[in-house]
This record gives sequence, C-alpha cells and structure tokens, in this order.
Amino acid sequence: METSFAITGKDYVIVASDTTAARSIVKMKEDEDKIKAVSPHLLMAYSGEPGDTIQFSEYIERNLRLFHIRNNYSLTPSAAASWIRRSLAQSLRSRKPYSVNLMLGGYDTTSDTPHLFWIDYLGTLAEVPFGAHGYGSYFALSLLDRYHNPEASLEEGLEILKRCIDEVAKRLVVTPGKYKVKVVDKDGSREIEL
Amino acid sequence: MPDMVTLSRSSAPGQPQQRQFNPYTENGGTILAISGADFSVVAGDTRQSEGYSIQTRYAPKVFRLTDKAVLAVNGFAADGNMFVKQVRQRLEWYRHAHAKDMPLRAIARLIQTMLYARRFFPYYVYNILGGIEEDGSGAVYSFDPVGSYERESCRAAGAAQSLVQPFLDNQIYFKNQVPQPGRPHPKHLPLTTVIQLVIDSFTSATERHIEVGDGLEMYIVLAKGSPLHGLESIDGVQEMTATNEGERIFIIRRNLKRD
Amino acid sequence: MSIMEYNGGSVIAMVGKDCVAIASDLRLGNQALGISSNFQKIFPVTDRIYLGLPGLATDVTTLRERFRFRVNMYTIKEGREIEPETFAHLVSSTLYERRFGPYFIEPVMAGLAKSATGGFKPFIAATDLIGCLNFAKDFVVAGTASSKLYGVAEGLWEPDLEPEQLFETISQTMLNAVDRDAYSGWGVIVHVIEKDKVTTRTLKGRMD
Repeated sequence: METSFAITGKDYVIVASDTTAARSIVKMKEDEDKIKAVSPHLLMAYSGEPGDTIQFSEYIERNLRLFHIRNNYSLTPSAAASWIRRSLAQSLRSRKPYSVNLMLGGYDTTSDTPHLFWIDYLGTLAEVPFGAHGYGSYFALSLLDRYHNPEASLEEGLEILKRCIDEVAKRLVVTPGKYKVKVVDKDGSREIEL
Repeated sequence: MPDMVTLSRSSAPGQPQQRQFNPYTENGGTILAISGADFSVVAGDTRQSEGYSIQTRYAPKVFRLTDKAVLAVNGFAADGNMFVKQVRQRLEWYRHAHAKDMPLRAIARLIQTMLYARRFFPYYVYNILGGIEEDGSGAVYSFDPVGSYERESCRAAGAAQSLVQPFLDNQIYFKNQVPQPGRPHPKHLPLTTVIQLVIDSFTSATERHIEVGDGLEMYIVLAKGSPLHGLESIDGVQEMTATNEGERIFIIRRNLKRD
Repeated sequence: MSIMEYNGGSVIAMVGKDCVAIASDLRLGNQALGISSNFQKIFPVTDRIYLGLPGLATDVTTLRERFRFRVNMYTIKEGREIEPETFAHLVSSTLYERRFGPYFIEPVMAGLAKSATGGFKPFIAATDLIGCLNFAKDFVVAGTASSKLYGVAEGLWEPDLEPEQLFETISQTMLNAVDRDAYSGWGVIVHVIEKDKVTTRTLKGRMD
C-alpha cells in the first residue's frame, strides 16, 4: 500500500514516500519518485489515484513556476499550501474530482522556518509537526507522537524516520519495498540515501 | 405501531414473498442512579413514548425489588416490565428457599445470567440496579442488554444518557475540576446534594430531550441504622419499607415539564 | 459514515453579563484516526465577532476564506464594521446559496452588538448546514459532541455570569462534553469577548 511520511526538525523538513507503483494486486514499478520539488524550497509527496497524482502534481508545479516567472519570487510554503488546498477543494465539488493526498514540506526563506502541511483529497489542510498518509500512518503517527523532536538535527530526524519505516515493514501486511527520502532546508531540496 | 410489521411483496406473481417482523421498539425515557457512602438513589422519568407519540405520562421505570434493592429498566418497555417480573419471581423463590432477601451483589449476578440467557434474542433493556451491599455501602450496578455489568457510583442510561452522563462526570466525579491544595474532592456526596443533582439532571434532560418529561420518580435506599441525612426536610417523601430488616426505602415524586 | 462526523469537532457559544464566550476543541481527525491537535475552528470576524465552524474540515477552511472575503467587501462598501446580527444573516444566506449541495458546516457565532444607547449587547447565534438561523438567549452548540454539550450546558449555565464565571462555565461544559465524545477533544480553546477586550485561553485537558 502507498505510504508517505514527513517530519519537521530544526530548520528542515524530511519528506519520505514509498516508490511502488501498483495497479490492482500487481506491482508495476519499484522506483517511482512520488515526491516532487514543486518549487525551490517546497517538496510535495503525493499519493492516490494513479493518473490524478501525476496530472495534479504537474499542474501545481507549473502554476507555482508560472507565479515565479511572473513575480520573480516564489510563494511561501503556507501561501502555496493554501493555493493547493483551494485547487483540491474546488476540484472536490466538480464533475471529476482529483483523488490526491499530499504531504507538503517547505522552508520559508522569509522567516527561516520549516513548515509541513497535511492535505487530503477533500482539501483538508492542517499544519502539523509530523504527518503521514496511507496505511503507514496508523503505525507512524503513534511512533512520532513518542519520538518526534522539533529540535532534532537532520541525523536524528532521519533516525526517527527509519523507526517509522522499520515499524511499517514489520507490522503492515503489504509492505512497501523501498522509500525515497528528500529534505528541504535553507539550501533548497535534495534527495537523501537512507 | 408503524414499523412493527413490514411486508414486502415481490412484483412477480408466483415468486417467493418475504415477510418480516420487528419484535422490538424503543420507548424513550431516561434512568439514573447515584450511590453515596450509606445510601443509593435510583431515579427515572415516567414518560413512555413511541416515535413522536406519548403513550402514557405515567409508566414507572424504577421498581423496588427488596428493601435494599431498586431496579431501573429502560429501553423497550414491554421487555422491561417482563424482565422486572421475572427478576421479582426469582427473588421470591430465593426468599422461600433461604428465608432472607438476596444480597445486592447476588442480584446483580442474577441479572447478568438472566440477561445473558437471552444472548441471541435479548431483552432490549438497559438496567441500573441500586441499593445497599451487605457491608452497608451504597452501590450502583449498570448493565448492557446482554448482561455485561459493572459496579459504579454513578450512571445514566436511556434517551438522555449523552446529556446527563457528562454532567454527572463533572458534578459527581469532579472530572476536570482541580481541587484546592489540601482539600481533596469528597469521595461520597451527601444525600441532599445527590437528590438536587438528580432533579437538576432530569429538568435539564426534559428541557432538551423530547422523550424525557412528565414525571420523576426517585427511590432512596438507606443502609441499616443510617440517619435520615436531611431526607425528613424534603417535602413529599414517602416511605416504602416493607420489612424490618433495617434498610429503608423512600420515594420522592416530582413533576417534570409535559411539553 | 456521516460526512458531518468525518473530521469530528465541536463548538459552543454562551451569553454572559455584558460579555459572550465561544469555545471549541482542537482535534482534526480522519474518522477514528487523529491527525492534528491544533486545528482551529474559531475565527475572528471583527474585533467583536467570533465565528466557529465545526463540521467537514475542508469546508471549515473554504468558509473561513469566503466569510473573510464577504466581510471585507461589506466593510469596504459600507465604510463600517459589520454588526453581529447582520453577519448572522450573511452566514445564513451564504449557506442557503448552496441549499442542494451544502457546505457540511454548522456555524456558531458570538459577538457584542452595538445598542442604540452606545452600549454593547451580547449576541449569539447558530445555524444548521443550510443556514437556518437560531438566535438563542442562553447558549448554542454544534458539532459531534452537541448532545453532550446541551446536557452539561443546561445544567451549568445561569443568566448574567461575569466574564470570569462565564469562562469557567463554558470551559467546564466544553471539557466534560468532549471527554465523552470520541470525535472531539485533543485540547480546547476559549475566547471571552468583552466590550474592550477579548481573552483567549487554551485549556489543558485530557489528550485521549
């Protein structure tokens, strides 16, 4: 099953997502990147209906890029989150709603603070210190309740992330094989090998 | 009785027909019991309704079983009345066999077995048993329809359970109230306070719930040798004690709004 | 599965003597799973009007944005702040506009209305999800713990409470009601509105 986690720490956000692309009971792909860097300091992990995820994430990416080109600066994470939420909320009451869930992690360069937003396909937006989507959330959230530390260094943050991944690997029946992990901080976003 | 019998006939003649009978209905009302150190209060309203119709404004839901046990029954009234009748019969047999009244905790266990005996065609009733234990302490036992039970010091059940129970959590158990340093919350409340809380609970429930109202019946069971705890100063108290074993039973009736 | 109970949450508003109070829980959930313990459902509309939006979380945000827009337009066009009663009708018509495809929210409002003599009069109101107004004199409730809130409030509330007493009453009502509701809780926030100030407190309650 699709699973994604995200954790804030001291001046960074870690976003992790499994890499399986499945159709029914068949694994089609094991190295799908489901975390998009939608702008220089913004990472978006997406999951949900296969076609919708790509279409929607590219729509977001291009509109944020368009904003940057027009105005010569990027939306802050909270502004981007509000706009993305609105897109989903409008889509929800349309003829064919997007079925996409998001974890949006960003670094606000104007105030030097990390931000993480939990967004679901209904357009529910919540700023959270940590969050998860999919079946993994049932294991990860309770672990993070216990171990999350907003002041943790990147190394410590990755350790906590590993605990989540290991727990899901141990207890979830249909375990995702591999995860892609990305970090966003003041220097922008980058991928990290666990 | 609009939904007591439902018939569905398939359109094609010669095809199988399905008949259905729903043996249950819900008759509204609310019951409540609170125990103190050496007393127990069991109360219920007297309205009996079905849907939006009031069947009667006086149908008791609280019954004296012995001089130390009172049972409140709420849910499906027919089942409730039948159940009380059978419990009373079992208690009478016990008296004939042992020449004494059954202890409260034994009545509680008896009720469990009687309810669980009907596990697959249950009495659709929530029971609350109040009274005095053999050690002289006030007790309340609450049951679900299939006999799961627990001794507590306070319980509401029925239509207005969701209105009354959180109020009782606050006023009886002092939930979310921080005690003054060196002055912990009392473990048991005085009888007059409990009676006032019961009356307040029912007037509140009557105000906001359409199935609650008309009348309130409150049974008060006092332990052997217990003083009246200010009961004598409350008007309209009537003694219901039948034996001279020591425990005493009183009843207080109050009018509730009839709208 | 009811849409009104999908995310959980409850709001209550109460009238006091020359003051009003409004309180909500802070939980955001996906049915039984808790997502956030800091999800605000009460928003300031003006300095003297607060609006609570319990219900489907996506509509909480959507309606907050919509009301902010419509109140701003009103302020610009009229050149003055909106009065609570006017705002209540704005809420009602905004919801009734979506009569056959509603926002899944039951708004609760609390505010102080300017009276003819220049003083302030306590005002509370609530509507259902299609905008049917309820102007109560004592208290209004909404959300997944509404029946519990009714019961406790009916038992604790009395007329003419001073701001501090009103704070205690609404806090105890909220805390004890959400403790009996699986879909509400995870913290409580209370706002007490007086003519010259608003006091906001976050309460320490059970976090389960």
